[in-house]
Amino acid sequence: MTRLIVCVKQVPDTSEVEMDKKTGTIIREGVPSILNPFCEFALHEALRLKDKMGGTVCAITMGPPQAEDALKKCLAIGADEAILLTDPAFAGSDTYATAYTLAQAIKRMGEFDLVFCGQQAIDGDTAQVGPELARLLDIPQLTYIESIEQIEAGGALCKQETDSGYQRVRSRIPALIACLPTPDFEPRIPNVRDVMKAKRKTISTWNKEDIGGAAAVFGLVGSPTQVIKVYSPPKREQGILIQVSPGEAAAKIVDILKGRGVIG
Amino acid sequence: MDFSINDEHKLIKESIREWCERYLTIERVREMDIKGHPFPDFIPKGLAELGVLLGTLPEEDGGSGLDWFTQALVAEEIGYADPTGTTLAACMAVMTGWGYTINKYATPRIKEEAVKPATKGEKFIGVATTEPGGGSDVAAFRSTGKKEGNEWILNGEKTFISGVEEALKWGGGYWVNVRTGPVVEGAHHKNMTAFYVPIDAKGVEPGEPYRDAGRNALSTSGFRMENVRVPADYMFGQEGKGFYYTMEGFDNARLLIAAGTVGATNRILDEAMAYIKERKVFGRPLAKFEGIQFELVELYHELEAMRLVAYKTAWMQDQRYQKKMFKPTEVAKWISMGKWKAPQLAVAAASKAMHWLGAAGYSDEYLFEMAWRGLMSYCVGAEGGANIQKLVIGREILGKDFIPYK
Repeated sequence: MTRLIVCVKQVPDTSEVEMDKKTGTIIREGVPSILNPFCEFALHEALRLKDKMGGTVCAITMGPPQAEDALKKCLAIGADEAILLTDPAFAGSDTYATAYTLAQAIKRMGEFDLVFCGQQAIDGDTAQVGPELARLLDIPQLTYIESIEQIEAGGALCKQETDSGYQRVRSRIPALIACLPTPDFEPRIPNVRDVMKAKRKTISTWNKEDIGGAAAVFGLVGSPTQVIKVYSPPKREQGILIQVSPGEAAAKIVDILKGRGVIG
Repeated sequence: MDFSINDEHKLIKESIREWCERYLTIERVREMDIKGHPFPDFIPKGLAELGVLLGTLPEEDGGSGLDWFTQALVAEEIGYADPTGTTLAACMAVMTGWGYTINKYATPRIKEEAVKPATKGEKFIGVATTEPGGGSDVAAFRSTGKKEGNEWILNGEKTFISGVEEALKWGGGYWVNVRTGPVVEGAHHKNMTAFYVPIDAKGVEPGEPYRDAGRNALSTSGFRMENVRVPADYMFGQEGKGFYYTMEGFDNARLLIAAGTVGATNRILDEAMAYIKERKVFGRPLAKFEGIQFELVELYHELEAMRLVAYKTAWMQDQRYQKKMFKPTEVAKWISMGKWKAPQLAVAAASKAMHWLGAAGYSDEYLFEMAWRGLMSYCVGAEGGANIQKLVIGREILGKDFIPYK
């Protein structure tokens, strides 16, 4: 391996998020930000591969200037370098514009072996950026990946989660790997030495001029989709608890459904 | 004046918080409170791996070269995670606060045998000053040390010492003050010398542990010394200077106690606020009653004030060590301001929270009663009683002519 790239996102800490009761949207002001847990897992997978195969790990993110904090965390966890893509022109990007911006930056970086990303971000939950990025970079993609089992002549052999269990999949390299944290994943906690080492690592900041590309594809202007409204689903009413034998329960349920006109 | 903390501080705080959320949960703290001592050794070992146990020691001595401000931030996080003050006591005040002074005046032999293993959480090091005849009155000690050839023979007794059971289990020993010269009338603090005494040294007889009101996971007991022979290179610093070094040791421990008990108060109020916002009585949440809200506000105000005192004190200690910007006594004044008030506030917060919760607060269903029991140890005397702190502050603001007992 020579170079592994990890795309990360800074997201609101959703355990502390409150909803605006009037608009039904997330109140972002004053909410602490964290490194998206799926991205954190992706970084750990990249570092695990680096420990086995060598190379360097570069963390990259697109966001406002404060997204640099997420990159500092990545450096403390073990990334060798980081790149912050920040520009007012990037604001309001949907997943496609985000993927385009990341693709432009990665093309500028030059050769790489694998691009890692989290399967999804805990704020948007779309899981679209990874596949879009792979398409824009014209590389194969493996999604819902729990681990890279080995790098062999044919490429990267990975363990993939499916609806019914797991399967092994292989892709030639270069490729994009979208990672899904294992249930027992415990992120590495940086110690003081890691934090002090991170201080000496580089975070480069690139804007739209640095990465080039079509201005019409960046930010809100370049987003084919627009968010009209974000709202929480209506609160479910409290159900009716029926605690009798199965036969009696069935009869009661039929009566209730008949009473509500659901069945004839 | 910049009130922000830098990126390294934020990352270190975040790491300590993450570690505590994983390994020092409140359920674990409750288990420790019920089970009692010895203190679980995975905690000092885990903190050592993070680089924050004896963190202020130079790297070549096994520390991380942290400044006191960063160490205080660590202590605050630990106080938040374990609001009984037990982990604060064992790992921050004693091993880290005293560990710095122990290392500073240690010979290479003491560093090799005691300090370096302690920095990995593999041995316990602590302080033994209190005697049956004197706790606050540090100068009224009766333990003695007599030179014989290349050894010193120590005799005496130390009581109410934290960590004896831990030292017996993990290995380790103590900074022990003894009289090595005649008592000087009017200057009882003179002619005291500090030695390293391993807990398993021949002639050291540990006593039975006390049953304390709280802080149960850290033992409190004592030991007798009967003709304990220690080599000359177990002496800390110079003969006769023990009292002065000891005051420095107390300062570093007290500084971390102020920060740690600020963290504990923060935790207590966070948990209490969550409860009073939800619990309804007479048709509305407890938090909507002015009587309760005003008490909370008063405590919160004091919490933020004490946080600033703790932070400023740590900053002053760094400026004193690095740039000699402050006299030691000037910093000691601030250290005593924090050590006096911050634990008192923590106990008051726990007590008020118990009042708000009623019977539930008095039970082990919530953390308040074990916090109240544990934190009281820092009010009554551990690392210096409350009134002793007031004497220090009074001396600094009024001048030595007004010291009450002179």
